[in-house]
Amino acid sequence: MLAILKRETKSYFTGMIGYVVVAVFLAVLGLYFTNQNLMFASSDFGGVLYTCTILLLFLLPALSMRSFAEERRAKTDQLLLTSPVSIPGIVLGKFLAQMAVFCVPLLAAAVMPLILTAFGRVNLVGAYASLLGFVLLGAACISIGTFLSSLTENQIIAYLATFGVLLVCYLMNGIRSMFTSGSLLAFLVFTAVLLIAAILVGVTCKSLVAGAGTFFAGVAALFVLFTVRPAWLLSAFNAVLSALALFDPFTNIVSGMFSLTAMLYYLSVTALFLFLTGQTLERRRWN
Amino acid sequence: MIEVEHLTKRYGAHTAVDDISFTVEDGCIYGLLGPNGAGKSTTMNILTGYLSATAGTVKVAGYDITEEPLEAKKAIGYLPEQPPLYPEMTVQEYLLFVAELKGVKHKKDRAAMVETAMGRTGLQPMQNRLIRNLSKGYRQRVGIAAAFLGEPKVIILDEPTVGLDPAQVIEIRGLIRDLGRTHTVILSSHILSEVQTVCDRVLIISAGKLAAQGTPEELASQLAARGTLSATAKGSREEILAAAEQVEGLTDLHITAEKGGKVSFTAVCEGGSDLRGELSLALAKAGCPVLSLSADSMSLEDVFLQLTESNDQKEVTDHAGDPQA
Repeated sequence: MLAILKRETKSYFTGMIGYVVVAVFLAVLGLYFTNQNLMFASSDFGGVLYTCTILLLFLLPALSMRSFAEERRAKTDQLLLTSPVSIPGIVLGKFLAQMAVFCVPLLAAAVMPLILTAFGRVNLVGAYASLLGFVLLGAACISIGTFLSSLTENQIIAYLATFGVLLVCYLMNGIRSMFTSGSLLAFLVFTAVLLIAAILVGVTCKSLVAGAGTFFAGVAALFVLFTVRPAWLLSAFNAVLSALALFDPFTNIVSGMFSLTAMLYYLSVTALFLFLTGQTLERRRWN
Repeated sequence: MIEVEHLTKRYGAHTAVDDISFTVEDGCIYGLLGPNGAGKSTTMNILTGYLSATAGTVKVAGYDITEEPLEAKKAIGYLPEQPPLYPEMTVQEYLLFVAELKGVKHKKDRAAMVETAMGRTGLQPMQNRLIRNLSKGYRQRVGIAAAFLGEPKVIILDEPTVGLDPAQVIEIRGLIRDLGRTHTVILSSHILSEVQTVCDRVLIISAGKLAAQGTPEELASQLAARGTLSATAKGSREEILAAAEQVEGLTDLHITAEKGGKVSFTAVCEGGSDLRGELSLALAKAGCPVLSLSADSMSLEDVFLQLTESNDQKEVTDHAGDPQA
């Protein structure tokens, strides 16, 4: 794992990607820090990070897009998968390398609140809690990108897919407000999701009966729920949507509501997608 | 060293490897021979743990490749069909990385190991070049050097000489023979002469099945049993044909040349018997002096063609332990 971590980190900086990501990040971070903290004399460093979240949508997919897609295209995955390294080791090595690159500009960010203390009282706890939240948010984004990269051998597709998914997560708050009323819509959306799940089940089990069975059983259950307790369906739907709002907990942290739940949320999203990445690699051996 | 039992790999309806069993013993160079698409690469990918088999087991150095993959993989060095190289690294960086990946703990050990590997493969002059800028032959050498880092017991090379120029091919073959002194080597190839010159034992794979195995000589003698005779005798065509037809078991008479009272012909001995004696007696009786008479043993090439062309219905034959065949 350590070998992969070292090689990957170095490889980001032998090409352009590492430098570009770090440079753009530092530029924007510096810009907002100067603008919001120094020129407007605000001591709220979390606000700067909050403004920078939009950057994650563009920059992190650029780090994660190549992680597995490029290995697969160049067939170098054959080296990794036939070496005495476990699949979790490979995934973790790649993930930590991306985190290392992501953390380079954040080293500068870690100094910024200290600079502000020269001008007056600064809520350092709040600032560093925001920074921690930002790192964890980044980790979640990177793990999603790594997972999507493991599904394709085309880096551009990996980039666009990751960007799209992160964008939907980013906009989820707005999307959710569209569904506040009407449990019929929730029913329809759940049915659509169920249909996709049923097709996946059918394809993996190679049996039409299993797929159709899953679908009809699910629809029946949904329909019962829909007629008996429509409010449940709606609240379940809202719960699902808010779980997809990846950037929301960070907003809360920035606004001063530091919670363990938010940290756990990011850690579990990260763990989930890294696990799925490992499963994808494992599964490919069987195809 | 490697035990393969009833290995099968299916991709949907297509069966790439069909119930293959064989054992690889220590200290030999094995050649996996077969036409393109016969399942050589798939077999190697399964042996090294890159792919999983649909059915069957692979044991490397006593470890099952699916159950104890880390132990099994430690015993294997693998060069896939396309060397898995990172173009942005230099040769030395890459080899050091592979050594670390293979679990060589100390930095000094890794450096020493890479130094030896580069020495053996003649990569020293290239050690600080980017892999991106290397020629195909040198890339192949980097791949081979990487395969024997970490002191694996078995080295598996998938078509190691494809795409190289003749001088490089000879060099790489020399390197493989050299490796064969210290390691067990399995290489795949669709080039017969390569297998014949390099390998101690040959496994012929055709359409996913193991068609035959044995030493190159065994395989050649196996089909030489159904051998052909070629002979030249003095006399008229009719006399000679009449005499030869009287020999029991001799079929497929073909006159190949007829000139100045000499007739050359070939014939096939049925049932694997050697009919040279009978033929010469029959010709002598007919008053046709025999000028030359020889049994043609088949080359590996003929064995290969026979086995791979009409393999569909054939039973898997194992002549490894049966030199009489």
